[in-house]
Amino acid sequence: MKAINKSQIEELIQALAAEGQVFVPQELNGNTKYAPWQKGVQVILDKNVLLSPKDILFPQTEAMYSYVADNLNTAITEVAVAAEKQVIFGIKPCDVKSVRLMDLVFLTKGFEDTFYKTKKDNTLLVSVGCAKAEPTCFCTSMDVNPQVEEGADLALIDMGEEYGVEAKTEAGSQLLAKINSLLKDSTGQLIETTGFQIVFDGIEGVPEKLKGMFEHPIWDEICLKCISCGACTYLCPTCHCFDIQTKKIGKEGYSYRCWDSCMFSDYALMAGGHDVRPSKKERVRQRFMHKLRYFPERYNELMCVGCGRCLAKCPVNVDITRIIGQIKEAEVNGG
Amino acid sequence: MAVRVEEIKMINPLVPIKGKIIKIVTETPDVKTFHVTTENGKPFTPMPGQLAMFSLLGVGEAMFSITTQGENHLEFSIKKTGMLTDALHAAVVGQEVGIRGPYGNGFPIDAVKGKDVLFIAGGIGLAPVRSLITHCVANRADFGKLDVVYGSRSPADLCFKEDLFENWTKVPDMNLHVTVDRGDEDWTGPVGFVPSFLEEINPDPKDKVTVVCGPPIMIKFVMQSLDKMKYDHQDIITTLEMRMKCGIGKCGRCNIGSCFICLDGPVFTMSQLANMPNEY
Amino acid sequence: MSITEKIQAKAKELLDSGTVNYIIGWEKGTFWHQSTPVFVKKAADADKLIWDEFCINSLSTYLIRLDDELKVGLFVKGCDSKGIVRLIQDKQLKREQVVLIGIPCNGMRNAKGAVEKTEPANLPLEQKCIECVHPNPVIYDELIGEPVVIADKSDRFNDVLELEKLSPNEKYQYWAAQFEKCIRCYACRNTCPACNCKECYVDQYRVGWQNKAVDLAENQMFHVTRAMHVAGRCVECGECQRQCPMDIPIMQMNRKLIMEINELFGEYAAGVDLEAKPPLGQFKTDDPEEFM
Repeated sequence: MKAINKSQIEELIQALAAEGQVFVPQELNGNTKYAPWQKGVQVILDKNVLLSPKDILFPQTEAMYSYVADNLNTAITEVAVAAEKQVIFGIKPCDVKSVRLMDLVFLTKGFEDTFYKTKKDNTLLVSVGCAKAEPTCFCTSMDVNPQVEEGADLALIDMGEEYGVEAKTEAGSQLLAKINSLLKDSTGQLIETTGFQIVFDGIEGVPEKLKGMFEHPIWDEICLKCISCGACTYLCPTCHCFDIQTKKIGKEGYSYRCWDSCMFSDYALMAGGHDVRPSKKERVRQRFMHKLRYFPERYNELMCVGCGRCLAKCPVNVDITRIIGQIKEAEVNGG
Repeated sequence: MAVRVEEIKMINPLVPIKGKIIKIVTETPDVKTFHVTTENGKPFTPMPGQLAMFSLLGVGEAMFSITTQGENHLEFSIKKTGMLTDALHAAVVGQEVGIRGPYGNGFPIDAVKGKDVLFIAGGIGLAPVRSLITHCVANRADFGKLDVVYGSRSPADLCFKEDLFENWTKVPDMNLHVTVDRGDEDWTGPVGFVPSFLEEINPDPKDKVTVVCGPPIMIKFVMQSLDKMKYDHQDIITTLEMRMKCGIGKCGRCNIGSCFICLDGPVFTMSQLANMPNEY
Repeated sequence: MSITEKIQAKAKELLDSGTVNYIIGWEKGTFWHQSTPVFVKKAADADKLIWDEFCINSLSTYLIRLDDELKVGLFVKGCDSKGIVRLIQDKQLKREQVVLIGIPCNGMRNAKGAVEKTEPANLPLEQKCIECVHPNPVIYDELIGEPVVIADKSDRFNDVLELEKLSPNEKYQYWAAQFEKCIRCYACRNTCPACNCKECYVDQYRVGWQNKAVDLAENQMFHVTRAMHVAGRCVECGECQRQCPMDIPIMQMNRKLIMEINELFGEYAAGVDLEAKPPLGQFKTDDPEEFM
């Protein structure tokens, strides 16, 4: 395997900058997130950052088309999505998997989402593996490899003093060739990621079991302390529910899509007042059903990657790992 | 030239094309039918039961079933119920609008061919079902006996009166059974709720496909009546409605379990629904 | 008996006697440095309840518009009890519906992500506890534990005073940088006892006060509006700032308005005295009229 010394990361990023704008994990105004790299920026690679790179491919607010509505007349103009080449450097394997899951949502099943596709087709993912887990990490319990996950173009694997460098796609191989002068032959060993405080024996059987648990009383208990904010859904790298709204400025305006949360009380509310999820219970049930049963049924993948952000930031410590445990232990009538 | 269904998939599916309202028919005090076309003719050619996103730019966008189509236009029958529909009901002929579609799975025409069809609808629920009725009428030879059982609150609330009392009465081997919850001075027809009315008519389940659509409470009692009359749930289909935003199965909102109503529905058989979470 | 034991005994008593339908307190959370709200409905589950240096969540938010037929037992620190006073004054809760067990609080600790378990006394206090002026419950049916001596915390306005020294442009830049961070999760609004409107202005889509787009302008609108809406009623529980996943210094805005209101209408601490009307909810003939 080829490798690069950890001390040469700045040079590597510099080389990647020739491929397009490089987004790196960094601190900005007290938050850690992905933002454009500039020389001298402190790149955070030893742990994951709070805001996932979800918003690079799927912005929180994204204009779709502008319009003019002047009395009876209307004009509609699609917003041209910038097809600029970009690189997301330092993306962690858990987040790499979540990009893979977003690909399944936005690029498969009947329609291709133009906005997402244009950005994704022009994005290279260079992942960096983890040698040490945060206390809130549980990716291994969700079948995610903390060093390298499918979906990256180029994968950097933590091997101590150096990163092993592997091309995982055709685009990755081309990139590898371009940065060859920075690389040497690997002398290190792949580090087995340590430090997991949350480990459970997998998620086997949970999606199946949930099929019979829609009306289970467990949801009456789980929902009680939730305060129905959107912190979990917005920080989650796989959550992708969106709303479509309009910004109106007189006769003109634009239609945009924006992140939405199934936790908000009006999520399922219909004109006329009918609401299939009138209380916290239905909404909390929807969240966990979506992650652990509906998405696996539809796309054959779990929708949780074990990044631990919801666990770290939920104001009332709603813990998906604890809930998985409760689901596993729950008694289900009728088999 | 109208844009074909396959072509829609290559265009950005979230951006509408410009359409225009060319005719407005007042069906009831709170239901109007809007005829919509584009400068290139019909926006697209939907299958019966499909949906479209209809928007008033600057006001909002919502999903509506396409109640029927003509050579050059689509028809939407819309009930006045919220922000967008209030504005639509105030619109005039000539209003330019946004339209995108078609979405949804539509009715399973092949499964219905050769069979007798029983249509059961209540109130505005007749609107989505009408797309299948007009298809059967236009292709009369492909289908068996047609029975329409329809009810609404009052005579004034009956939708599509022209079809019910004129056009469809002339169709061979098609029976119309119309009831109202409460009559008025001029009403001489049956009075009573749809489920009990249905039981009086007592149609034979043999070789029959049943299509049901209406308020949830009506569907509940109609299903009880159909069970009494020994109808098989596999042969009963319905069309559902939920809050929708993208229309293409991506925004997550209109799910029942792992199905999206905008993509895998809105048409489902009762057997399918029995296997889905009770959240619609 | 430790406070934990007293809490558990009290909960059992209230549930066994049928005095309350359920109890809200704290139980251990995911990590050793987390304690989390818990709802206890059966006396047998009362031993989930604990009291330690991590029982930081204010529980008053769960009582907003409690169903008329329900009666709830609640453990309250100083900050939680002020939240309850807030709800009662805003007519979102009836006093008879809650049985309040007050617990004087020496301050909760912030583990700041520490992995190794350590004595809580080694950890720094939570920011809101450093600034807390009401460690003893201001309203209760019964008190567990010894009242805490109240220290002078007037320096909690220091960062506001520092901000006041900035030029208007500097202030704008400071807050723009903070509001850029906001992801509009509404954790601050949902946890706040003063944010108890049945229909929040944000959700009034037909009117369109607030657009759903997340950009600086909309974020500014939300934060400034919320600060103004709670002005005069904010009980300084500090939960909004503590819960914000993006670390926006929300209490700086709230404290700025508290300072202004103190100056205009006299010293007033919201949520302390059930009988004292919030200054913006009344008028006196000698109110300042600089604009007239």
